[in-house]
Amino acid sequence: MSADPIPLLSVENLTIEIGGASVVDDVSFHVAPGRVMALVGESGCGKSLTSYAILGLLPDAAKRTGGRIRLHDLDLSALSEREFRKARGKDISIIFQEPSASLDPLTTVGSQIADAYRTHNKVSRAEAYDKARQMLADVGIPDPDRRLHQYPFELSGGMCQRIMISIALICSPRVLVADEPTTALDVTIQAQILDLMKKLVSERGTAIVLITHDMGVVADIADDVAVMYAGRVAEIAGVHSLFAKPCHPYTALLLASVPTLDDAPKSDLATIEGRVPTPDEFGEGCRFASRCPLVTDKCRIEQPPLFDCGDGHRSACWHIDRMPELMEAAA
Amino acid sequence: MAQYVAQRLLQAIIAIFGVLTIVFVVMHLSGDPTLLLVPQDASAEMIAQLRSQLGFDRPIGVQYLDYLGGLAHLDFGDSIVQRVPALDIVLSRLPYTIQLAAGALVVAIGFGIPAGVLMATNRGGIIARILSAVVVTGQSVPTFLSGILLIFVFGVTLRWLPTSGSGDFASMIMPSIALGALSMSTFARMTRISIIDELGKDYVRAGRARGLSLSQVVARHVLRNASIPVITIAALEIGNLLAGAVIIETVFAWPGIGQLAIQSIQSRDFLVVQVIVLLISFVYVLTSVLADLVYVIVDPRIRLVR
Ligand SMILES: Nc1ncnc2c1ncn2[C@@H]1O[C@H](COP(=O)(O)OP(=O)(O)OP(=O)(O)O)[C@@H](O)[C@H]1O
Ligand SMILES: [Mg+2]
Repeated sequence: MSADPIPLLSVENLTIEIGGASVVDDVSFHVAPGRVMALVGESGCGKSLTSYAILGLLPDAAKRTGGRIRLHDLDLSALSEREFRKARGKDISIIFQEPSASLDPLTTVGSQIADAYRTHNKVSRAEAYDKARQMLADVGIPDPDRRLHQYPFELSGGMCQRIMISIALICSPRVLVADEPTTALDVTIQAQILDLMKKLVSERGTAIVLITHDMGVVADIADDVAVMYAGRVAEIAGVHSLFAKPCHPYTALLLASVPTLDDAPKSDLATIEGRVPTPDEFGEGCRFASRCPLVTDKCRIEQPPLFDCGDGHRSACWHIDRMPELMEAAA
Repeated sequence: MAQYVAQRLLQAIIAIFGVLTIVFVVMHLSGDPTLLLVPQDASAEMIAQLRSQLGFDRPIGVQYLDYLGGLAHLDFGDSIVQRVPALDIVLSRLPYTIQLAAGALVVAIGFGIPAGVLMATNRGGIIARILSAVVVTGQSVPTFLSGILLIFVFGVTLRWLPTSGSGDFASMIMPSIALGALSMSTFARMTRISIIDELGKDYVRAGRARGLSLSQVVARHVLRNASIPVITIAALEIGNLLAGAVIIETVFAWPGIGQLAIQSIQSRDFLVVQVIVLLISFVYVLTSVLADLVYVIVDPRIRLVR
């Protein structure tokens, strides 16, 4: 991956355990200012937990048992709760996966947006509401004055999503973690939100961690991509390199399963056979072994580390050299 | 909204009517008061005469319709024993019961809700454990027993508080605690469960993600959301307190309607009992309507949709 500039957000060897199983295992990535890192992977692979860990908001059941998170040169994982609080929403913000549930149903959305601003800025209520109104206009909500005084239940899912985006962006954070920020939105609004994010990146130099299932969105906005599988990084690379020359069988299959306009899903590789192992099924070997077309005995015994395959493109596979074989079969 | 109110009102009238009918039938089936009113050596003729004078010789259906006819004119009938309007007797005792129920409600809410909040927010902590012991005690000791225990410890042994009577603050303390203990436990448990339930919701994490502390999220968002089920309980508990007063007033010789109810049942003073029953059912209905109004204030989803 192209990590030349000094990273703003560094996730280093992050490990999260739930009930003894490492549901996030040794995950590392870096995001420089003005760059977008996409986290992709099947449901349950640990994307959201990773995002919670970045904000220091893991659920009670989950424990960070290793690694650290750094914001520039500040070690977030060493901060006390009180110190961390000052960074949340101000230096580093998050857009959660469930927008409607993330709003208090009994409080107007305007009050919740203004509250986010007042938590970090000493301003009057009226000023905070002005700022909130401005934010709603920025995320493309028509008639912001009326919307400010509405309750979450009066708004559509897409509208709630944009309210959450307003809350996340109102303090101009340096780092934005966005968990499926465009899934609930229709195509036009989705494009609008992606444009807004591109603007943040190019004008303010915001660093974005974008969690998504949508390879189209990845191609559109990401600079780098980390492909996660069962809690581990399978492959991490610059977006062009990843699409052009996937170095992990899982990525290759994932890309092949994305239907494109000109060709129907290809052959039997279009869907990945089998299922993701559950955390208690994680063994000593590669977690993808049970579904991998290139699997050998070594894969079942020993977990592959991330190997460099040129240009910062790295893949956790023992058989990177056999990838052309797989690509040919897919073609 | 108007349609909703009308609907609630209709439900309320049907409920009160039902209770009234059941009590009327049960009281009449269990015998009439004539025998208690005549001297021991009264002849059968005298008894029959008094019975017909009081109207108890008529078929129960006729008596019932007669009673309802009176109610329609807000005439609740006269006490058979004291020969004055039953309503006046009940109203003269009511202030004592209100005083006692208010004291019990202060105990129940004033202790129960903060205890519930602490139990939910300090889960596993020492304070939570002590409180939960208190709550379990409050809910498992029967009201009459806690009353007697309190009298024994603080009244008889320590001599700190008066054991009976009414009026001053000191005499209210023990009956209020005894009457409120069960409700207190209910409030504490409901508050605790409701808050724990809310704490698991996504908006709590979202609140913290914008830089609020957990206690700020609790104060600004969780308490309000958690209050909705507690309001339902509060409405029921006020009615339950009045019903519980029947026992507690007897234990503490407190001259309210609870004690009056027991006395009137013993002397088969039907009409007084009926007024008390009417009053208690009215309070149940009234508090549940009040609870609905409070929902409307607290929850915009109800306010804006109905
Ligand atoms: N609070 C929790 N308690 C127990 N297990 C959890 C909890 N949260 C997540 N998990 C488990 O951790 C794993 C990773 O979950 P996570 O939510 O991070 O997945 P995800 O990649 O975000 O999936 P999706 O694409 O569906 O959002 C899953 O196996 C999930 O079941
Ligand atoms: Mg998720």
